[in-house]
Amino acid sequence: MIKKELELLVVLQDLDMMIDEISEVKRLGFEAENEENLRKAREELVSKISRPLLFSYEQLKKRYKRAIVPVKEDNTCLGCFIKLPTSISAKGRADSEVMRCESCGRILYWL
Amino acid sequence: METQNLLRYFDENLFIPNLKATTKDELLKEIVDQFVNVKYLKNSQIVLEMLYQREMLGSTGIGKGVAIPHGRTTSSSDIMIAFGKSEDGIDYDSIDGKPVHLVFMIIAPPQDENNMYLPILGKMVEILNKSKNRKKLMSIESFEEFKEFLEKE
Repeated sequence: MIKKELELLVVLQDLDMMIDEISEVKRLGFEAENEENLRKAREELVSKISRPLLFSYEQLKKRYKRAIVPVKEDNTCLGCFIKLPTSISAKGRADSEVMRCESCGRILYWL
Repeated sequence: METQNLLRYFDENLFIPNLKATTKDELLKEIVDQFVNVKYLKNSQIVLEMLYQREMLGSTGIGKGVAIPHGRTTSSSDIMIAFGKSEDGIDYDSIDGKPVHLVFMIIAPPQDENNMYLPILGKMVEILNKSKNRKKLMSIESFEEFKEFLEKE
């Protein structure tokens, strides 16, 4: 369940990053005219994510450029590059709850 | 950005000289599966979702037989580029309606060291806009030849 919701949040962030970079991608010569399609996909996605998690995501997005960051195999948070304690990484890898980095507060996504 | 600096983002395991796909969906899946097979990515569904959404924004088939599917995904920790080619061509819904023969898939993490993702994307477009480069790439059969091409370009 958690994994599913966290994955939806990951898809949402991927979509938000794409929307953020539309003008740069267009400048490079790519076709990127259908922004409306992405906005619709975002709306649909948002309706599937629980409000508290979505709220955390939006708050973190305001504070940092990226709200969710990958965790490398060596347990490094790729937001602040701090090595995570073993207790957090064990829980995170088990997908038993949504975990945040103790140092920067970003939501963690284990690769 | 210098072309030689692109080399570090390629890998022999992501060099696919004979793509099997005949459609865009098959192609995206074939290359993403290769990323997963060589353990550069774990969750193919999330990456495919991102690539499909990118295609909803506009086709990454930039014409003249070239496609550069690309995007940032939270399920990646490094920038990686796969290269594939197809003699028969792939139905890709390109901007010029022509089949795609050369494919560069660029996957980037949410934030990358020195912010290289967009310069890399721009450099790939620049290289592939030249007809002599497209011709050369179509004749390349091995990763060694591919590396030589990038070193000389």
